[in-house]
Amino acid sequence: MSLFVTINNIDKIFSIPGGDDYIALKGINLEIKKGEFVSLIGHSGCGKSTLLNMIAGLDLPTEGIITLEGQKVKDPGPDKMVIFQNYSLLPWLTVHQNISLAVDEVMKGTNSSEREALVEEYINLVGLRHAIDKLPKELSGGMKQRVAIARALAIRPKLLLLDEPFGALDALTRGNLQEQLMRICDEYHVTSVMVTHDVDEAVLLSDRIVMLTNGPGSKIWGTLEVDIPRPRRRMEVVTHPSYYSLRSEIIYFLNQQKWVKKLRARKVSNLARHGLEKVNLELGYVPLTACAPVVIAKEKGFFVKHGLDEVNLVRETSWRGVVDGIVGNYLDAAQMPAGMPTWLTTGGYQESPLPVVSALTMTRNGNGVTLSKTLYEKGVYTASDFRQLLLDSVGKSHTLGMVHPSSMHNLLLRYWLAANDIDPDNDLNLKTIPPAQMVADLKAGTIDGYCVGEPWNLRAAVEGVGFTIATDLEIWQGHPGKVLGVREDWALQYPNTHIALVKALLEACQYCADPKNEQEIREILSGRSYLSTSIEYIQLGDPNQYSCNLNNSVEYAHHLFFGENVNRPSRTEHLWMMTQMARWGEIPFPRNWVEILERVCRVGVFGTAARELGIEVNYQRQPIALFDGSKFNADDPMSYLMNAKIHRNFTVAEVHLDGQRLSAA
Amino acid sequence: MIPLSSSNRRNRSKSLDKFIENFLPPIIGIFSFLILWQIFSIIGLIKLPPPTSLWTDERTRNYLLYPFFDRGGTDVGLFWQAFASLQRVLIGYTFAAIVGINVGIIIGLNSFWNKALDPLFQFLRTVPPLAWVPLALAALQQNQPAALFVIFVTAVWPILINTAVGVQQIPQDYINVKRVLQLAPRKFFIKILIPSALPYIFTGLRIAIGLAWLAIIAAEIIMSGIVGIGFFIWDSYQNNYISDIILALVYIGAIGLILDKLMAFIQTLIVRE
Repeated sequence: MSLFVTINNIDKIFSIPGGDDYIALKGINLEIKKGEFVSLIGHSGCGKSTLLNMIAGLDLPTEGIITLEGQKVKDPGPDKMVIFQNYSLLPWLTVHQNISLAVDEVMKGTNSSEREALVEEYINLVGLRHAIDKLPKELSGGMKQRVAIARALAIRPKLLLLDEPFGALDALTRGNLQEQLMRICDEYHVTSVMVTHDVDEAVLLSDRIVMLTNGPGSKIWGTLEVDIPRPRRRMEVVTHPSYYSLRSEIIYFLNQQKWVKKLRARKVSNLARHGLEKVNLELGYVPLTACAPVVIAKEKGFFVKHGLDEVNLVRETSWRGVVDGIVGNYLDAAQMPAGMPTWLTTGGYQESPLPVVSALTMTRNGNGVTLSKTLYEKGVYTASDFRQLLLDSVGKSHTLGMVHPSSMHNLLLRYWLAANDIDPDNDLNLKTIPPAQMVADLKAGTIDGYCVGEPWNLRAAVEGVGFTIATDLEIWQGHPGKVLGVREDWALQYPNTHIALVKALLEACQYCADPKNEQEIREILSGRSYLSTSIEYIQLGDPNQYSCNLNNSVEYAHHLFFGENVNRPSRTEHLWMMTQMARWGEIPFPRNWVEILERVCRVGVFGTAARELGIEVNYQRQPIALFDGSKFNADDPMSYLMNAKIHRNFTVAEVHLDGQRLSAA
Repeated sequence: MIPLSSSNRRNRSKSLDKFIENFLPPIIGIFSFLILWQIFSIIGLIKLPPPTSLWTDERTRNYLLYPFFDRGGTDVGLFWQAFASLQRVLIGYTFAAIVGINVGIIIGLNSFWNKALDPLFQFLRTVPPLAWVPLALAALQQNQPAALFVIFVTAVWPILINTAVGVQQIPQDYINVKRVLQLAPRKFFIKILIPSALPYIFTGLRIAIGLAWLAIIAAEIIMSGIVGIGFFIWDSYQNNYISDIILALVYIGAIGLILDKLMAFIQTLIVRE
């Protein structure tokens, strides 16, 4: 397929009364292939209709260039036919006259009987034979839009542009028209661009979905390929494995944009009280059993006790939401997977280093590797069985899910696979999936297993769709799970708030570790505003109460929330995670790893918080012992990395961090 | 048959109710007015002859009974007087419509000319018809063309301005259709511009016919020696035939009313909504 429409670095600036300029679109680049159906999606006012009008030539970009088949778009014309939201039929002309007005004008070269045949053909195509001599006012909204579609298609445009074509229609009519449009587009290979704010419509119709951020200065946030095969049917696409991940991706985007808009609109940004620089905090988390300390600190009043009067918990469905919140600076702090602070600091996110610090490890353990029941039935009980299965089924791809490149799940899963002679990238695929979606994907058969935190391993077992093949006990007993992460510049700006936050969460961790509170915590966590799941899936204590396996019970490593060497941030652990992320090519291994560790691990903040709470901290530096018996020497990470049996081509580079350095605590 | 007749009766009483409801009040109003006038006139409170003088005054009664006589010159029946005035109105009004619609379209489509001419039009629009009469006479030297000019200059503004607005108000959707289809100007004109501006044009035409009728009476009063109902009034005044004037006023009012209703009727025929 060749490039058909190119949109090259488009800016659109409107001058508004009063002499100001409004930047509607900024730096838009998009290429559309022949025969492709592209949707533009975004909140109202994001400039998507403006972009469409510029492609149509109805409006001109302030900067940049749009070409159609190599020709610059300067004027509107019938080769770029538009279907408007309000149909734009001429009310004094009948259905037939409306269409023939277009056909007669555009197809001047042909004789009148040919043109008449064309008009008739397209009226029949949209099923309006019976209404051919009616005026638009006698037609329903759906029929009017069908006339508009017939008018647009009858002149055989190179490019069809649709501006929220079904926005004003009822759901039933919309569905029917979508299918008709799809059928016609498939049949005539029409290249189309559609503006919409309907997520399902976008997924159903498009080959590609372009997401535009809110104005001013809208830009393309991301593009999704829709890999659902054609011809598609409305009732069938929903069963396609990609459907929900695409849908959730778009909804994530739309929600995030709404959130950003709300934050922009908020005036009060900083409340200082009780000697703390900021007491109104947005704290991000992902609903997992491991979020207990965060939820408990809120519900049991530990935040308020330490002066943080207005802590707002922001539930994200995926770790990406946390990353966007921290990078976009609209979350003050977040519960993060253990590897995320170093991952962000060393430029794991879009290769731009963002210093993030951690002063508290909130949980350890609580993870497991689940494989599907199908594999269990094929006799896969151990890692070596799994390896054998992969060797036996060359050519058939297997996919395992994990939640984020920087999460312990990814690192442990890869380590476990590699230690069992399975190359995690070449022998199978690893896919990033939000935790809450794992079980659904496992059920649907789109993945063969996953590594994720509770309650999702347990849930797969309870629902009988998968079994736990390995737990923390078998990989790294006592590994860090979730940590508290804040931006370094935030930590510098609000040092006392940072300490108060660590104190509140540390105390919450202590509360969570007390078996007396187990039942209460389970009840709170299972509530609608948090995990919103059955209480039986949330287990904190006695591992013998339930089984994660399909037949025989496996011993299970429960979440550790509090205890000796549990909460203090450990440089050794963060270093190990950096070596693993570098091993798999997620980040370059920083030559200045000592500096990075000093900046990421805020041991001093933790120490102050613990001391003020009266908690005694006895720290002993210990080497990390993993299940395969190899010891990690924190003094020589490079040779550890070099000696890894399976690894990607990793790079070693100096990571330059700007910003003020805090004196090592 | 009994139920039918009873329903008939009910229908009849219903239509009677309706008649009483709709027509009785205006009839009472008009009669009260005429009776009051009659009384005031008889007791000498006003110097006008009473309404009954249309009949009691022999001269007026002749005008009332014989509207079609023609004794040559300006001595013709009231029908011919009114007809002559109406003719003038229609000629002047037709010119005004042609010029007003065309210039209105040009101005509506062209923002430069709109800006250039709008102040001038706004200024001229406010000049009263009567003020044009001396100028028209001075410029054209003859009564007939001068009268036509006065009608023209009175009627043209509402047509012109309404047409211009109608053209400017063509919905952006239709303009987009034109741009996307690259419609030829002639087709755009016929298929989009005229149908879209038609309601506005007709509003202008309806306002203009009323104004034109007002203007002709005023103009004829000043123009001596022509057949026309305006001059008839003036002539009667000069001769102190006050009851003739009253009769002529009835004619003028009736014709004005008919013209307005006629335009309204044409409007509903042409402008389908």
